[in-house]
Amino acid sequence: MTHETLALPVRSLPRLNWPSFQGANRLLTNGHVRAALAILVPILLLTIFRPLLPLPGPLETNLRGMMQPPSFEHPFGTDRMGRDLMSRTLAGVQISIFVGFAVAMVALCVGLIMGTLAGFFGGIVDRVMMAITDIFLAFPSLLLAIGLVSVMGTGMLPVVLAISLSDVPRFIRLQRSLVLSLRTRAYIDAARTVKASQFWLMTRHIVPNTIAPLLVATSIAAANAILVEAGLSFLGLGIMPPAPSLGNLIRDGQSYLEQAWWISTLPGIVILLIAIGLHFLSDGIRQVLDPRSRK
Amino acid sequence: MNYSAAINTLSAVPTEAALLQVRDLHTHFITDSGTVKAVNGVSFDIDRGERIAIVGESGSGKSAMAMSLLRLLAYPGKVVSGEINLAGRDLNQMSERQLNQVRGREIGTIFQDPMASLDPVMRIADQMIPPIMRHLKMSQPKAREEAISWLTRVGIPDAGQRIDAYPFEMSGGMRQRVMIAMALSCRPKLVIADEPTTALDVTIQAQIVELLKELTDQTGTAMIFITHDLGLVARFAHKVGVMYAGKLIEFGPVKEIFAHPSHPYTQSLLDTIPPADQPEQRKLAQIPGFPPDMKLPVVGCAFKERCAAAHDRCFRETPELKSRGLGHRAACFLPEGLGEARQRDMEIIPSMMRNSSERVVVEVFNLQKHFTRSSLSPWKKPATVRAVNGISLNIREGETLGIVGESGCGKSTVARLLLGLDPVTSGDIFVDGMAQMVFQDPQSSFNPKMTLFDIIAEPLVVTGKGTKAERTARVYELLAQVGLDESYARRYPSQLSGGQRQRVAIARALAIKPSVVVADEPTSALDVSVRAQIINLMVDLKRQLRVSFVFISHDLLTVSYISDKIAVMYLGSIVEYGPADEIFRKPAHPYTQALIAAVPVPDPVAEEARVKVPLTGELPSPLDIPAGCAFASRCPKATALCRSERPTLQAYSGSREAACHYAN
Repeated sequence: MTHETLALPVRSLPRLNWPSFQGANRLLTNGHVRAALAILVPILLLTIFRPLLPLPGPLETNLRGMMQPPSFEHPFGTDRMGRDLMSRTLAGVQISIFVGFAVAMVALCVGLIMGTLAGFFGGIVDRVMMAITDIFLAFPSLLLAIGLVSVMGTGMLPVVLAISLSDVPRFIRLQRSLVLSLRTRAYIDAARTVKASQFWLMTRHIVPNTIAPLLVATSIAAANAILVEAGLSFLGLGIMPPAPSLGNLIRDGQSYLEQAWWISTLPGIVILLIAIGLHFLSDGIRQVLDPRSRK
Repeated sequence: MNYSAAINTLSAVPTEAALLQVRDLHTHFITDSGTVKAVNGVSFDIDRGERIAIVGESGSGKSAMAMSLLRLLAYPGKVVSGEINLAGRDLNQMSERQLNQVRGREIGTIFQDPMASLDPVMRIADQMIPPIMRHLKMSQPKAREEAISWLTRVGIPDAGQRIDAYPFEMSGGMRQRVMIAMALSCRPKLVIADEPTTALDVTIQAQIVELLKELTDQTGTAMIFITHDLGLVARFAHKVGVMYAGKLIEFGPVKEIFAHPSHPYTQSLLDTIPPADQPEQRKLAQIPGFPPDMKLPVVGCAFKERCAAAHDRCFRETPELKSRGLGHRAACFLPEGLGEARQRDMEIIPSMMRNSSERVVVEVFNLQKHFTRSSLSPWKKPATVRAVNGISLNIREGETLGIVGESGCGKSTVARLLLGLDPVTSGDIFVDGMAQMVFQDPQSSFNPKMTLFDIIAEPLVVTGKGTKAERTARVYELLAQVGLDESYARRYPSQLSGGQRQRVAIARALAIKPSVVVADEPTSALDVSVRAQIINLMVDLKRQLRVSFVFISHDLLTVSYISDKIAVMYLGSIVEYGPADEIFRKPAHPYTQALIAAVPVPDPVAEEARVKVPLTGELPSPLDIPAGCAFASRCPKATALCRSERPTLQAYSGSREAACHYAN
């Protein structure tokens, strides 16, 4: 007998009328979630309150203070045009977060709808949709994004669309597999015996039970999108200078690595921290949602 | 050897030569939310060649106890203290390395689920031969010979070939035979079998139990048999230990325990079983309440809250196992247990007035359901499974129809067809009103994200019945009808016990006032004491609401208790159809006879007297149903006529029908 099979009498359980509150509570006591928040919250706060910080604007040049090393005045130093790098990095983080969030939302919404339809209806709908997603999945996501950006042009919107397009097939696949495992549950049959509509079954019984695993995937997708955006900008395909983005900041500093290491290194560390933070977050969510991984 | 006579004399005095002595065993599961004291001071002895059954409900600690003997506990479990003396050596003091010499060599194990306990990617030979080579120091060819001889002994046909098969090429019954062969192949002194037949059909269960009995008698292997089925215990064991809340509360020779149970819990358990033969229908005894939470310390007797005879001493002191003579021990202060309070004579259920003019609510005529499985290779003909092969039935208002048969006989397919969940291939189904369903698996029957209120109200909302206020009133009415408090409406399914979930499932099924409720194995996932509660509830509801039930189960005792009519199914066809008590008392079809013979009766004396002819063989593949009688391959009476010509349902003794050439 494993410990899950122990019959626990009901009266000993606490009364919960609001289980989501308990979920939130469990999230906040999870070690991984706490680590994620410790990394992400300061970065977010600095990004949000950047205009209030005593820093010059991200586009403000100062030709008398070029390539200065980190100091109290310029915590991340300055670049070859004397622009404050902390200000630029935080502005880049803003773009990264926006891209990450936008991509995650697009991928989540499209994946949720298409995956639910494919998994629920099966048959020809499923086959056609799976064939198309398989074609997309055959390309590495960065390569696909590069291809799409070079067709659609640079800038924020094409970048978001390109990265989403490479993430959406993964979400469709995931959602479809979740729906397939739920579709045969007895409560779906129970609802079908009273002739519940397909829409009712999907919205009341299927989608609510897939949200949790989708959220885990969403936080990973956000981290991935931030890395891909940085990659595209680094290659000169994403956000175009002078607008700052973590990718093009690293690219800027690449030629001066020997004279001014901070130009590339510090934004790089920030990307690393954001990616680690988001991965911790998704790990934490998964642990809280999946009781089997709890020890 | 006349074992039972020997055992009585042996067990009166504790012998020095006990094979295994367990002393004050404690096992804890350390979890985030507290320490679960699963085994809480268990002591007992097993002699050589003795079969001991450990019975108890889920959560009583019976499996944890058995697995503790080998320290094979799942992650947070730990043997905290106690002695496990196997032939003078304490297993609890051994290192993992030493223990691995004992596991398999001296103590064999048979697990519950034969599907999961064999490695699916290894051939039987690769799983069986290495342990024999290691433990018995045999060469590879000799070990293989040994393995084949064991497979032959457990009744695997053509063992020399089958030893090279993969587990998935075998049926569940065959795999369990392989498990038994593996467990016995190193000639252990003791075999621990943890619910070895629970996942199997009654007829296969009977075969496996007979096999285990025979083999342990031949080899002199002792056995610990964990089960929740009291009927099996009567058929099988020399001694019985009853566990409750991590403790042995009664222990003794099987006949003693069944004839004079002295702990209130044992008494109640025995009373909850539907009686096989009773002139009038009486309610089943039920045990109120829940087992205690094993995370909390138990003060006094663990059973006191559920015991009708509990008095103030039970709340202060914990009763110890005390001798009741003849090796029989019980942990209760009262010599008689429940004594007068025992619910012997239950309330008689007045039989419903029944006449043939009652409205027919379900009529099924020549129903067929075929599943076509097309092969990946285009040149192969698609295979057709005839899951339901032409059945006709009718159910009148307020009547309960029981459908019984082995798994794969098509009984669940009939249920889905009745509910309109699958399209029929041919034939007609007429349902006057709505059909609703109660499912087997209480885990997956409810959306975990919905409250019980929403779950019960769902059929009303979907069908657009009533205003919001009327629906709310109806939900509370339904909760009251199934015996749940109003406060349950706000709970989630995960906060309920198995029995409560089944009550909610019944409430949901009754919400739209259906004319027929189809219950597919509604009690098979429940513990005995809870099962009685659910059956009583269904009997009450049937009388109060005059709703018809279709009760599908492999448990013949329960079906015959609750049903008015029974349809026995074999390979998609009905082989016998008629009034329940008549069929149960005088089965006409050889298959019905075999099914009834396979049902273990919770009475060791009656069990001994019964002629046990376990049905040989297994269900033929539904892919190619034989031309003649489908049952001919397993039937002891089959003749050439049976193999060539298919019998149809013919009237038999006026009131029923049977599909057998030789019924009359």
